[in-house]
Amino acid sequence: MTAAVFGKAGAAVPETSLVQGGIGAKAYVLILLQLGLLALLLRQFQIESAAFIRLALLAFCGFAVHALLPLRYRLPFFLALSLAGIVLVLDIVNSLWIVGIGVALIGVCHLPVSFRIRGLLLLLVGTLLGAMRAKWVEAPALEAIWPILGSMFMFRLIVYFYDLRHDQAPVSPVRSLAYFFMLPNACFPLFPVIDYKAFRRNYYDDDAYRTYQVGIDWMLRGVVHLILYRFIYYHVTLAPSEVIGPAQLLQYLVANFLLYLRVSGLFHLIVGMLYLFGFRLPETHNRYLLASSFTDFWRRINIYWKEFMQRIFYYPMVFRLRKLGTTKAMVVSTLLVFALTWLLHAYQWFWLRGTLLLVWQDVLFWVILGLVVVANSLYEIKYGRERRLGNAAQTWRSLGILTLKTFATFWFICVLWSFWTAESVSSWLSLWSALGGHYTVDALIYPAIILVVILVGSVERNGLRNVRASAQDEASWRRARLVTVVSLLALIGLSIESVHQKFGAKVATTISSLRSGHLSRLDTAKLERGYYENLLSVDRFNSQLWEVYTKKPANWLDVQNAGLKRFTGDFAQTELVPSFVSQTPYGTLSVNRWGMRDRDYERAPPPNTYRIALLGASSVMGWGVADGETFEALLEDRLNQESGTAAKVHYEILNFGVPGYQPPQQLMALEKALAFAPNAVFYVATGREVSRAASYLVEVVQKKLNIPYGPLRDIVAKAGLEPSMDEATALKRLEPFRAEILSWTYQRIADQTRSNGAAAVWVFLPQVRQGTWQEETPEILRIAESAGFAVINMANVYKGQDIDSIRLAQWDDHPNRRGHELIASDLYDEIQKQRRTILDAAARRPVN
Amino acid sequence: MTDDIKAIIKDVILTEFLPGEDPEELTDATPLITGGILDSIATLKLVMFIEERFGITLQAHEVDPEHLDTIAQIAQLIRAKRS
Repeated sequence: MTAAVFGKAGAAVPETSLVQGGIGAKAYVLILLQLGLLALLLRQFQIESAAFIRLALLAFCGFAVHALLPLRYRLPFFLALSLAGIVLVLDIVNSLWIVGIGVALIGVCHLPVSFRIRGLLLLLVGTLLGAMRAKWVEAPALEAIWPILGSMFMFRLIVYFYDLRHDQAPVSPVRSLAYFFMLPNACFPLFPVIDYKAFRRNYYDDDAYRTYQVGIDWMLRGVVHLILYRFIYYHVTLAPSEVIGPAQLLQYLVANFLLYLRVSGLFHLIVGMLYLFGFRLPETHNRYLLASSFTDFWRRINIYWKEFMQRIFYYPMVFRLRKLGTTKAMVVSTLLVFALTWLLHAYQWFWLRGTLLLVWQDVLFWVILGLVVVANSLYEIKYGRERRLGNAAQTWRSLGILTLKTFATFWFICVLWSFWTAESVSSWLSLWSALGGHYTVDALIYPAIILVVILVGSVERNGLRNVRASAQDEASWRRARLVTVVSLLALIGLSIESVHQKFGAKVATTISSLRSGHLSRLDTAKLERGYYENLLSVDRFNSQLWEVYTKKPANWLDVQNAGLKRFTGDFAQTELVPSFVSQTPYGTLSVNRWGMRDRDYERAPPPNTYRIALLGASSVMGWGVADGETFEALLEDRLNQESGTAAKVHYEILNFGVPGYQPPQQLMALEKALAFAPNAVFYVATGREVSRAASYLVEVVQKKLNIPYGPLRDIVAKAGLEPSMDEATALKRLEPFRAEILSWTYQRIADQTRSNGAAAVWVFLPQVRQGTWQEETPEILRIAESAGFAVINMANVYKGQDIDSIRLAQWDDHPNRRGHELIASDLYDEIQKQRRTILDAAARRPVN
Repeated sequence: MTDDIKAIIKDVILTEFLPGEDPEELTDATPLITGGILDSIATLKLVMFIEERFGITLQAHEVDPEHLDTIAQIAQLIRAKRS
């Protein structure tokens, strides 16, 4: 620690020290203290992932060393830290693949041949990698690294090669490697397109202390964006089918757009971290919610993307087309840039997800945005636009006009965004039927909040952006420090349970929900559906659900494709294939000759046998556990072991569970089950029964399947469902009949069971993860009781258990072997408690 | 000569893009592109002016913050092109 390294804390640093990146002892300690608080904040709110928190700790500890090193050692140290970060997040083998392929790609850029040949070679290598990504060429070893490898090279290689062609600055291998493998990238498939020139040019070009401090400010801002994102994602988003009136429509539009906070949050976090290592990069977003025109929006949101498109495509196109006249050249080039943005979006999707993205909304979104930006640009060419060097003197009139323009732009973007992110054009169009709903005061909530935010945000907008921190005056700099430290402490304080509980149960519950990253109720429902459907059913914009899926190994429990189920062509649609056997990572999965995931039974019960038929879906079938490990098998064994030999009654539990079965499908399963003369029928419900029953009815109508039950056909007719209707519209039509569908289904199951002399038992088996799906539980319990079922409520079966110890995997919330043991044990106890009402009542039918 | 170039550039920026702003506020080091004063339309207008006024030709890859972010950088580019 020499005097050259340590200067006077926080004071303006002379030019020579700027070059050296020196920092004072007091400033160094201040930064470390704030990084400590930031690390605590990341941990308290479990920002992003455990891997990111580990990476952040590595970066913060690395900073402590990096800031003290002589300048010439800093870039190599940053590179070493970045490579260590890749190994920390991925394993050593995957890291070697990434670095190996990356070095080869960079190497091609520097081959001693002409640029044209190098460009062709890059295209060739890119095509080969693309063929592997598309699985045309087998490359199982690379399966886990594609998103990260793609995020490192898909755009930065274009920028790098372009700059290599035109830049006169000497190339440094260390800088080139650091540019591609830069530290936080290993955690983020979605990474800003950092400009190589900016990465090189702005390296330690300002006071080091202030640069580090700005990095902390930006990371904190990123965390705030991510917390706000969670609030929107968990508590504000709606499914299209829930948009039934103007209030919900506005909520849907706002929430949909504000989900972008995740991207802006991550980008702030990423670039802020780079500031800690001297890379004073431009801002990634500039208060994009306050855009007052379409061109303003394009300039403020994802600025790195705009800069990338501008440098690599827009200016070269304008220069080539200048003979048309500059205005025409600008218009044509702008439209081409938007067309290319669509194409590159599809290209990005391909590298990240491995499939081609060809969706009409995508094309139309970029066409519409391109057209409005062109129109706005032409207006600005003709009339100019206001630019300021400093804070403009505002009048109430100018503030009012700016606020209204911003308000109008915001809503236009919300509408356009909703179109872009809709599952289909018809689904988006169906949203607007909500305008015919009831107009209540609630409809004013979101417009009022947005108006206030815009009004406050429009006061004193700074004229200049990206000004060096060293140029900021001391008073405002100190004020900004105070805001950062107070915000850090306030957020950490709020995250403490004993603190947020003081704000009342509702606020405490909300804050508690923001403290961890998990799937929203809508995405959890999609994840459940995803167990049985193709991965492509994940929305284009559903980044969190996609991230969960990317962790799923290829061919995870791929028994579906191995022939576990077959189509029946009737209302049930599918059934298990009799005598199917498959080896899974969790053991053997066998289906008996009757199509039950169970041991073999005779059709007629043997003498002195008490037989239970178990209806349910995947958890009942035993998804992810071996034969003999299902709770059904465990319970059967225990009943036979502990019933006592004196009674001489043998118990049989027949497993009629079929993965993906929804409540109405159980009507068909029941018919099959009754043919085996059970003494009792246990219907196992796992939550969201009302919603699932309604969704299933929509599905069969869309597929034009015959509905063999008159009352369900009547509901379809009353709701006016048509096969051509999109899901959201159909679900809205079914809204008034949702409870009726389940009530009738339950009633029919209970009545048929009883009329066959068996006891009808309804078992509530919760999902391993708590969530908003529980909201339907009281209603389904009430419906089950009304249908006359004997009810076994196992709501507490997983209480006190760590979720990771009872579920299969992060991407699969089915109970694992331990989970099934808990269920079997709990169900046994419940049966014993209600023995008289369940087993004895069932005994009305004579034990064979 | 450099000072003359700077004065011309400063004048055109103030007239075309910052009417009514205090000339003292616009220094040789004020960030024009990264600071948000020169957007793509304004940058192209400025490029056309420079080419016409100083009789030089700029390349597309030179239209970036490395060459045009400040009046000082613009003057340096023009001088290099003319020499």
